Amino acid sequence: MPDRYTPQVIEHLVRPRNAGEVPDPSGSGESGHEACGDVASFTVGISDNVLEEVRYKAYGCAACVAAGSALSEMVEGKHLVEAARVSKTDIEVALGGPLPVGKEHALTLVLDALHKAFEDHWNRTAGEMLLNGAKTRGNGGRSVVAAMSGGVDSAVTALLLKEAGYDVATVTFRLHDGERGSRSCCSPDTVLFARDTAHRMGLPHFTLNLKELFDKRVMQDFVGSYKEGRTPNPCVACNAHVKFHASAFLADEIGYHHVATGHYARVEDGPTLGRPVDESKDQTYVLWPVPQELLARTVFPLGEYRKTEVRAIAEERGLAVAYTPESQDICFIPDGNYRGFVRKKVATEPGDVVDGQGQVLGRHGGVVDFTVGQRRGIGVSGPTPLYVTEVRPSSGQVVVGRKRDLEVREVAVRDLNLFLDSGDAARVQVRYNSQPVSCTVEETTDGEWIAHLNEPVVGVAPGQSAVFYTEDGSRVVGGGVVARRAA
Amino acid sequence: MTDLVYLDNAATTTLDPLVLESMLPHLGGRRGNPSSLHALGSAARDAVEEARVSVAALIGARPEEVLFSSGGTESDAIAVLGLARSAPPDKRHVVVSSVEHAAVREDAMRLEREGFEVSWIGVDGDGLIDPDEFTAALRPDTALAAIIWANNEVGTVEPVRELAHQCLESGIPFHTDAVQAAGRVPIDVSEVPVSTLAMSAHKLYGPQGVGALYVRDGYSPEPIVYGGGQEKGLRSGTQNVAGIVGLGRAAELAREEMDERVAQERTLRDRILAGAEALPNVTLNGHRERRLSNNVHLTVSGVEAESLVLFLDSLGYAVGSGSACSSGGHKASPVLLAMGRSERDAFSVVRITVGKDNTAEEVEGFLAAFGTAVAQLRELSPLYAG
Repeated sequence: MPDRYTPQVIEHLVRPRNAGEVPDPSGSGESGHEACGDVASFTVGISDNVLEEVRYKAYGCAACVAAGSALSEMVEGKHLVEAARVSKTDIEVALGGPLPVGKEHALTLVLDALHKAFEDHWNRTAGEMLLNGAKTRGNGGRSVVAAMSGGVDSAVTALLLKEAGYDVATVTFRLHDGERGSRSCCSPDTVLFARDTAHRMGLPHFTLNLKELFDKRVMQDFVGSYKEGRTPNPCVACNAHVKFHASAFLADEIGYHHVATGHYARVEDGPTLGRPVDESKDQTYVLWPVPQELLARTVFPLGEYRKTEVRAIAEERGLAVAYTPESQDICFIPDGNYRGFVRKKVATEPGDVVDGQGQVLGRHGGVVDFTVGQRRGIGVSGPTPLYVTEVRPSSGQVVVGRKRDLEVREVAVRDLNLFLDSGDAARVQVRYNSQPVSCTVEETTDGEWIAHLNEPVVGVAPGQSAVFYTEDGSRVVGGGVVARRAA
Repeated sequence: MTDLVYLDNAATTTLDPLVLESMLPHLGGRRGNPSSLHALGSAARDAVEEARVSVAALIGARPEEVLFSSGGTESDAIAVLGLARSAPPDKRHVVVSSVEHAAVREDAMRLEREGFEVSWIGVDGDGLIDPDEFTAALRPDTALAAIIWANNEVGTVEPVRELAHQCLESGIPFHTDAVQAAGRVPIDVSEVPVSTLAMSAHKLYGPQGVGALYVRDGYSPEPIVYGGGQEKGLRSGTQNVAGIVGLGRAAELAREEMDERVAQERTLRDRILAGAEALPNVTLNGHRERRLSNNVHLTVSGVEAESLVLFLDSLGYAVGSGSACSSGGHKASPVLLAMGRSERDAFSVVRITVGKDNTAEEVEGFLAAFGTAVAQLRELSPLYAG
């Protein structure tokens, strides 16, 4: 590492390229903060995905000023996909070699400002789409937008696609204002990390700001579910409305066909979802709401691999993500405290804990603290362990009973998303991390399915997903939301 | 590089040719160790003692009260760490200003880790210490007070005479870092009752790597280096004879030429200040009157320090920056923060320090370059609406 600047840095400092602002820009982005001593901003004029105009401004050390100048020169006139591929290393090469020790941050800063300008451009382009979601069938062709969270699965997904000969563009979503440096997958640091990972693979990287969409479709539903006594599944809601739609949007914008994620699942003929090779990682249960039009253009490369193989690939190819921890929690609640999160968003009032006959056994602090099947925190003791069997938001009652009171043999399912005919449905899974059970399906006149279970199942909660599989269990027939225990 | 106009004299000065000439006999040929008994040793000892007389004369001290060190930082450390550690066990309190050079600031923080309590004395917006706050901080268990004579960044000259008298009355040892002040501000330790005073050669057109510490008779700091007992045991190790001779010669010249140098520096300083302040949103840091004759310290709104310094460097002018930018953010100067500046303002500073060899033409050239650099960097700055 050198301890001084190259002549190229000083040249850019004294004669900066593309200084200024684009009037009426297609997008603008700023990174850094005056209290940190570095601020860089980019404005861009984009027409037909080509960066016709790039202007930048910088307040900061010579590294920052020069890196912004060099970057603006490198991307001007380029196609967005090529501009989004320019890495920190590329900038260093343009500046005549590595920056002095401690100055590398300047590269991250200017690149982030440019990428925020691209992000702003997509936001302006997308309008309602990024709010309501859209689904298109794509244009054919061997090109793919791969969603990158910053974890090992999505990084290997992008790598496998690249090695399979696809034109790959990567995208990371800004979903919420997660805490910086948390274990969560969606913090700003994670965006930077995903961008670095993509660039090290030589892939273009984009960022899409989906905070509004995510709030509307996932977080509000999450909070609302608890309020209404339902058990939400935010990953399902995200797959239903956010992740695939946004990937397809970007693919349409840059003229790419496929979309890809790092889920462990397969796309089978139909198209429908199929179980992956690594059944212990099977994610078909959370993928059921992906619209068929989007599934038709989706690839899940990891469906053919075991998780151990995926880590080995990452290690072998030197991806820094090889050792990142598994993300377990809900991404927008990095501390895992769901109740605390919900309680901050909604007011809730104390109510009665009652038994199946309506007899009051005690008091509770609010229905949002309870979901069906819960055993802890009930605050009432009985001769046998008590479980929450029902939550009644309208009367503020929490009903408790014995474990066998949780058993159900019929489940009503609504909001169905179907890939195959109802006649193919032979098994149903009603909880994450549980096994499907045999069932027969009865369609009601108002479009619900009643699943008659061949054996009783414990802990079916309204709001959870019910996913139907074929007789051999290998393919998804369709899925829906548990409306209630039918009987 | 040879035609670079040098305006960073607070960082270091050019070696005076007369000083170099005095050093040369001690750098080449046969030489002795000042501790040796033979003739070569005696000659070396004589040279060191002659230098001691010259340094003592610059500050009104007796030669036996001057010891030589490797520079200002070491002199500060011997005084601050040494006086605090040699204080009686019931004196575990230290008073230090919040605008000290890092040499003293870091010593005080080291003492904090050793269990001393440190009172950091605040300053006003001009970097000036409030004597009342200083007096109020002195306690029966105070082991030491240390106040910089003239600040190395913003150039403010502190009321050291008054503060030293306060300490004398309270029986508290008083150290001052006079690295920037020596040779610019008249210093007479027979009138200003400091206990110890640190100096450096290379700020006085002398060589780098050598300094002096005045230790008033009756004060015995605990050494920080042990060995052969040179310099009355306070700085063991064979003396840097050539360097010490250079310091002696530099001190002699400083004493002879001080009035002339100061007058010339003031003229150049005031011209730079007037020219710089004629630009919009360029403001002076430090006290306008009570300031070093060679120091102009400016906040240049909307312009980051390092960029400005390197821009000026490319135009042929060497000036100082007040902040260091490193990974993930800048580190603002504690001195400017103590003066109540925002971090943003503390990042947008430049220090121009003239010296005896600068000319009026150089200053005019600088002002033109400064105007160009500031205008262009502001044009680029997202933080300057101008």
